[in-house]
Amino acid sequence: MDGWVQIIASGLTVGAMYAVSTIALSLVWGALNVLNMGQGAMLAVGGYIAYTAATALNLPIPLAIGVAIIVGAGIGVLMYFLIIKFMIGKDSFETNVIIATFGFALVLENLILRFYGAYPLRQPIGIDGGWYIGATHIPYQNVLLIVASGVLMVVVAYILKNTRMGRAIRATAQNREATELMGVRVSWVFLQVLMLGGGLAAVSGIMLSTLTTLAPTMGYDPMLKAFIICVIAGLGNIYGALVSAFVLGLFEVSIQFMFGVRFGFPALLLLVILALIWRPYGVFGRRKTDRL
Amino acid sequence: MLNVSRITAGYGGHKVIKGVSLNVPEGALITIIGPNGHGKTTLLRCISGIVPIDDGRIVFDGKQIDGSRVDEIVKLGMVHIPQGDLLYPDMTVDDNLLMGGYLIKSVTQLEDRREKVLDLFPTLSERKKQIASTLSGGERRMLAMGRGLMTGAKILLLDEPSLGLAPVVIEKIFETIRKLNKDGQTILLIEENVSRAISVSDHIYLLDEGQIAWEGSGHDLSGNEQLMEVFLGG
Repeated sequence: MDGWVQIIASGLTVGAMYAVSTIALSLVWGALNVLNMGQGAMLAVGGYIAYTAATALNLPIPLAIGVAIIVGAGIGVLMYFLIIKFMIGKDSFETNVIIATFGFALVLENLILRFYGAYPLRQPIGIDGGWYIGATHIPYQNVLLIVASGVLMVVVAYILKNTRMGRAIRATAQNREATELMGVRVSWVFLQVLMLGGGLAAVSGIMLSTLTTLAPTMGYDPMLKAFIICVIAGLGNIYGALVSAFVLGLFEVSIQFMFGVRFGFPALLLLVILALIWRPYGVFGRRKTDRL
Repeated sequence: MLNVSRITAGYGGHKVIKGVSLNVPEGALITIIGPNGHGKTTLLRCISGIVPIDDGRIVFDGKQIDGSRVDEIVKLGMVHIPQGDLLYPDMTVDDNLLMGGYLIKSVTQLEDRREKVLDLFPTLSERKKQIASTLSGGERRMLAMGRGLMTGAKILLLDEPSLGLAPVVIEKIFETIRKLNKDGQTILLIEENVSRAISVSDHIYLLDEGQIAWEGSGHDLSGNEQLMEVFLGG
C-alpha cells in the first residue's frame, strides 16, 4: 500500500515536470515541424536565472520565477532572430534547424559553465515540509509542482483554444500554406511559439532543479524524455502529449520501484519501439493521409 | 482590378509560366481553362504570392504586388482558395471559419461576416462544432470557400472548386459562384470542364504549355470548333 502511494506521488511529480517540458517541445514541433535541440539548454538557463535572481539579486521567489520565465522567452526570441529567421523557406529547413539549435544549446551550456562553473548548485526556490499518507512522506514541494504544472497547462490550453494567437498557432501546425493564405504572417507565429516554448522551458527547468540540483547539463535528460513522450503521443499533438507525460511518468516510476532505477529508461525506450511498430503516427496521432 | 503582365515563373530551372498576361476587371468572373499540368495552378500561386515570379508584373488594385509576402497580399484584399481545400483537419468548422476571419479585428464585424458565410452555406451552420476532417467532400469544399470568403476579399482566386465532387454538389458550388458574382464579387476561376466554364464566365483564357493560347468570351469559344477539338477534346 505504502509503496503504491509513493509510486503515485512521485510518478505524478515526474509526470508534471515531463508535461511542461513536453508541451514546450511539442508546441515548437507542431508549428515549425522542427525539433528544438536547444530546449534542454534553455531549461538549464531557466533554472540558473531563477537561482541568480533569488540569491545574488535577492528577489522574492515569485519575482525570481517571473524573471526566469521572461529570460527564457527572451532566449526563444533570440533563437528566432539569430537562427530560425535565416532558415525559413530555405532547402532542408528541418535538418538545418536541428543542427543549428544544437549549436545554440552548446553556446548556452558553455555560457553557464563560464558563469556558474560545473559544480552542481542547490536551487533555493522551494518549500519544506510535507504530509504523511500512512507511512509515506509527501513533500509539499511535489504537490506544489503538480499544481503549478496543472495551472500552467490550463493556461496554455486556454491560449491555444480561445485566443486569436492560439488559433493561429494551431492553424500553422495543421497547414502552414493555408494559414499564409488566410493572411497570417507565419514567421511571426514561429516567433510567438519559440517565445512560449522558451518560457515553458524555463519553468520546467526551475521545477526540475528544485527536486535535484542545478547543473549545466541538467536539461538533456528531460529533453530526451520529452522527445520520447512526443513520439509516443504523436508529434505535435499537445493534448496527447499531456496525457502521455503523466502516464509515462507513472510508468517509469513504477518500473524503477519494482525492478530498480536502472530499468526505468530502457523500459521507456521499449515503449517507443512498441509505439513505432504499432502506431508509428503516435498513440494519439492521426494517420496522415494526402488526398485531393 | 487585377492586371498580370508578361509574368514568367517556374520551379528550379524548369519554366512553367512563360510570359502570361491577363486582366480581371472589377466585378467580372474570369476563367482560366486548359489541359492539366500546363500551369493553371502555378499561375494562381504566382498571383497570390506563394510562387515567386522571375519576370513581369502583377498589379492589384493599383499596387504592384509581385515580390510581396502572401499575408501582405491577403491584407490588400485578395484571397486564394487552393485546390484540395487545405482545411485545418483537426479544427472545428467554426474554428476554420474564424481562421478565415483572422485579419478582422472587430468582434461584431467578425460575427457579421460569419453570419453571411453561413447564410451562403446553410449546411455548415448545422455542423459548426464538427471537426473538419469528418465532413463530406462537398461540405469540405464549401468550408474551404466559406473560410476564404471570411476574409472579405475584393477578389477571389478559386482553384478548381469542382474537382472530385459529385455532379449534384458541383451544381450547388457553381450556383454559389454565380450568386457571389451577381452580388458583385470579382472572381478568377480555374475550371477543367469547358462547358461549365462557358456557362459562367465573362471572359475565358486558355492556358497551354504555360502560355495564353487563346482568349475570348464563352460564346466565341463554343463557336470555335477547331479549338474545342484540339485543346479540349471536343
